Amino acid sequence: MRTVRTTFLAASALLALAPLSARGGELAIEAHGGYFDMAAENSASALFDSTGGATFGGAVRYTFWRGAFVSAGARTFSKEGERVFVTSPSSPVQKLGFPVSIRLTPIVLQAGYRFRAGHLIVPYVAAGAAITKYEETSEVAGESFDESASKTGFTGVGGVEVGRGIVRFGAEVGYTTVTGAIGSDGVSKVYGEDDIGGLHVIGKIVLAFGGR
Amino acid sequence: MRTPTAFVAAIALLVGPAVIAVSAPDGEVIRAVSTPRGPVPAPSYRDGEVIVTFRAAAETRDVERALRAGGGLEARRSRGASPRFLVTLAPDIGVPEALDRFSRMPEVEFAEPNGIVRRSQAATFKPDDNFYRYQWNLTQMNAERAWGIQKGKSSVAVAVLDSGVAYEDYTDPRTRQAFRKAPDWGDTRFLPGYDFVNGDAHPNDDEYHGTHVASTIAEATNNGLGMAGLAFGCAIMPVKVLDQDGEGTFFDVAEGIDYAAEYAEGGEKPVKVINMSLGSEGTSQTVKNAIDRAYSGGVLFVAAAGNSGKGIVEFPANLPNVLAVGALDSRKEKARYSNTGADLDFVAPGGDCDRDDNADGVRDCVFQQMPDERFVAIGRHDVFCYCGLDGTSMATPHVAAAAALLFSQGFTEPASVRAALEQTAERLGGAPADGRNDTFGYGLVLPAAALPGLGLNTGPRK
Repeated sequence: MRTVRTTFLAASALLALAPLSARGGELAIEAHGGYFDMAAENSASALFDSTGGATFGGAVRYTFWRGAFVSAGARTFSKEGERVFVTSPSSPVQKLGFPVSIRLTPIVLQAGYRFRAGHLIVPYVAAGAAITKYEETSEVAGESFDESASKTGFTGVGGVEVGRGIVRFGAEVGYTTVTGAIGSDGVSKVYGEDDIGGLHVIGKIVLAFGGR
Repeated sequence: MRTPTAFVAAIALLVGPAVIAVSAPDGEVIRAVSTPRGPVPAPSYRDGEVIVTFRAAAETRDVERALRAGGGLEARRSRGASPRFLVTLAPDIGVPEALDRFSRMPEVEFAEPNGIVRRSQAATFKPDDNFYRYQWNLTQMNAERAWGIQKGKSSVAVAVLDSGVAYEDYTDPRTRQAFRKAPDWGDTRFLPGYDFVNGDAHPNDDEYHGTHVASTIAEATNNGLGMAGLAFGCAIMPVKVLDQDGEGTFFDVAEGIDYAAEYAEGGEKPVKVINMSLGSEGTSQTVKNAIDRAYSGGVLFVAAAGNSGKGIVEFPANLPNVLAVGALDSRKEKARYSNTGADLDFVAPGGDCDRDDNADGVRDCVFQQMPDERFVAIGRHDVFCYCGLDGTSMATPHVAAAAALLFSQGFTEPASVRAALEQTAERLGGAPADGRNDTFGYGLVLPAAALPGLGLNTGPRK
């Protein structure tokens, strides 16, 4: 909930900058949907039988000088599986039937550059910080095994945006690395994986206001 | 077993009638009638009360009329603004009937039972067996929490290589000896075993040791009778390799291992654990080969460290593919007879029949059902008691049962069961959190800690 509130406040702050668009800046609101593939692939495979899944989110972007922009956004990704036991990275995974779920919520603050601004197809790149909240919940016969942590990592993305009007579409590929949130216990310790980041491939719907 | 016949506190069961004689150490005899009973389910709502919420537009007059018509004797309105009432029903009106009445009234938004909420807590299971209170050993292993998670599955079997098990009513046609099934097996499942001492398919117990050991693993539990077993839902395969004097040979032990490990039904090999509450000061390549072969086939071995109090673990417990088990007394201290050494893996309750540290009026043996030694001595195998023994023989089946619970939960690899038990054992005697010492090994086995396994970044409770 705090993550949602933080994102809302960040978006509100950027929206408050909307009048700046009258001075040449462009404000855009983005809705995201796509696929996220966890960097901790062995751990994810052990618990969830797959490493990726759907991710959803949104962002607010302000292009303030030529193609230079800043953005703030958030996504969410969750997986459900079951607790397991594994002795070593090469040993078989033994499923124990107790449900476990995780949720990753990265808040992404980026700065980037949009090439060929004003054209029909606009490529862009960006990099920044990903403040990622990690939540794990599971219950074994009434006993909770819950964990929550927030860590800051790095993210880099590249994509294209298509369209000139208010409504545009885009596609983006990016990679986030956030180390240290896991790896101290559980299967992530067995596999020596401590990164809750990963690869995302998303589509975007963009509502842009102002600008040239 | 350290003292074969020394059970200081004997709890004797007279086979046949459901009357049990309990002999306390001071000789006092208490007679009680055994009445098997199941657990009483807790009600999910308070009887005689319903919660009724009226529509906001309902008039006070209509509300009062509705409360009476629904069977209400008195009603307490919510302290808040909500038109919600806790209705106490007339004695002749049941909750379902009242709910039916209220739900038909147009001024009622909804009505429901006054459900009972309870504090959230980890599930436990306390059996009702009438001598369970003497099983300090199961309390020491936090068995009630383990049972809250897993009680054992009959598809998982523990082979007990021992003096046999009193598992059937049978008269030996050669000797005319009559064997009876021990009284507290309940629904415990037995796989077809074998008697390698006498060469037949009836591995009955002509001593008592094997029945006691098997009962620690799977004596019928929560049947209002006798004692409990730690993995009472699991199956037992009786394999007789020790004679009536408690002695056997390496050849028969190897034969027993091969038999248990190779037994299959429906394409599955149900024996996941082999318990060997036996030991030797010698060694045997024949036995080692049989163990290594079975271990690679997915069978976990658990064996007794020995009762001489020496700093060396006996064979076969000292083999790499065998979990060596030492004994604790009720104080959670090393039992004075228990062997120690670099090959010791774990400790578990083995008891000490010379002590009563928990002051329950009964010596701190490990108590289970078994053929009454006094009758065995005169050649009878049809009289049973709930009797106490001590020794690393008694500690060993606690670990075998813990392993069987893990296999029941979904563990498939002996190495994983071993690793899980190592990681979650209660360290004793100053052993490091990630290590062991020669007195307690990795410590006291705690199946409840091992059963939850691993999440992404959550391990078992330490």
